[in-house]
Amino acid sequence: MSESVRFVFPKPKLAKLLQQPGGLPVAEALERAQNNLEAIKPTCLAELQALLELTEARFEAMGGEFEEAPLAELYAIAVRGIGGGEVCGTPGVDQALTSLCDLLDNLRTSQRYDRAAIGVHVQAWRLLLAPENSLEASRVVVEGLRKVSARYAA
Amino acid sequence: MALDPASRSRYNLENAAVMLVDDTPMGMAILVQIVTGLGAKKLFRCDSVEMAQQVAAKHEIDLAIVDGMAEGKGYDFVKWMRTTCQEPNCYTPVLLTTAHTPASHVVRARDCGGHIIVKKPFAPIVMLERIIWMAKEGRPFLFSENYVGPDRRFRDDGPPDGVGRRREDKVGQAAAAAVEVVDEHKQKAAS
Repeated sequence: MSESVRFVFPKPKLAKLLQQPGGLPVAEALERAQNNLEAIKPTCLAELQALLELTEARFEAMGGEFEEAPLAELYAIAVRGIGGGEVCGTPGVDQALTSLCDLLDNLRTSQRYDRAAIGVHVQAWRLLLAPENSLEASRVVVEGLRKVSARYAA
Repeated sequence: MALDPASRSRYNLENAAVMLVDDTPMGMAILVQIVTGLGAKKLFRCDSVEMAQQVAAKHEIDLAIVDGMAEGKGYDFVKWMRTTCQEPNCYTPVLLTTAHTPASHVVRARDCGGHIIVKKPFAPIVMLERIIWMAKEGRPFLFSENYVGPDRRFRDDGPPDGVGRRREDKVGQAAAAAVEVVDEHKQKAAS
């Protein structure tokens, strides 16, 4: 039996609002947004630092065998940091955290455990947070992390 | 969808009621800075689904930017908006953001009824491009037993890619006509 499907053609107000007189030219809007992000850079850096310290403490407390709860906790901390690296001028941090989240998600799904793989991500997070890293150095580190997390990809 | 960063086009978000939903202080701070920079002034900041539901029940929302949040609660909120909210909020353009989508949440993210998903980190230009695209695209809304939201079957081919396109169309039409002729012959031969 076929499922009943109904289509509606709504006219959201947003299109009209965007075209109202006034507003900002694209270039100016983007510049303002970028300046706003610059203003919260110190706060984001402090937040990333705090999340890193929390992660390091949780990682130290982790045992040598698979346990769902600590992995879930670590994932919950790491995922909160993604997005902050770009604002702080350290985009490698976002990529490392994404790789860490991939790894933790895959380990949880397959109920496997690799303490060393997690550890190298945590160490890389601290390394990549340093502003003196060149983009090329960060790229190499991130590439290595991706190879590690890809080993557990489904 | 690409927007020229040097474009002199103007967009006005000043009178749009924008709801931001993110349960992390840093995620919310980044969103606020981006959308206010883009010109939005009327913001509803919600750090929980409960707060977002209260706002959506009381105010008309022109644009919602919703993070997937811990345990995918943001996806549940969007589903709630689509299935429970009164008009016009049940049709509000929803831009979903996600820092990372665990395998167990992919289906929820796809089926919750958002217009588009943007992966963190995102640059201001990406946010603006997606907002403009959502406002313009005018996808129909689909109500079915298992899904309520913008029709997920859509194509954005962009503008024609220049010289050669009409000719390709003609070649395509000629090929289709040839197939029809062959089919006709086959039918005649069979009868």
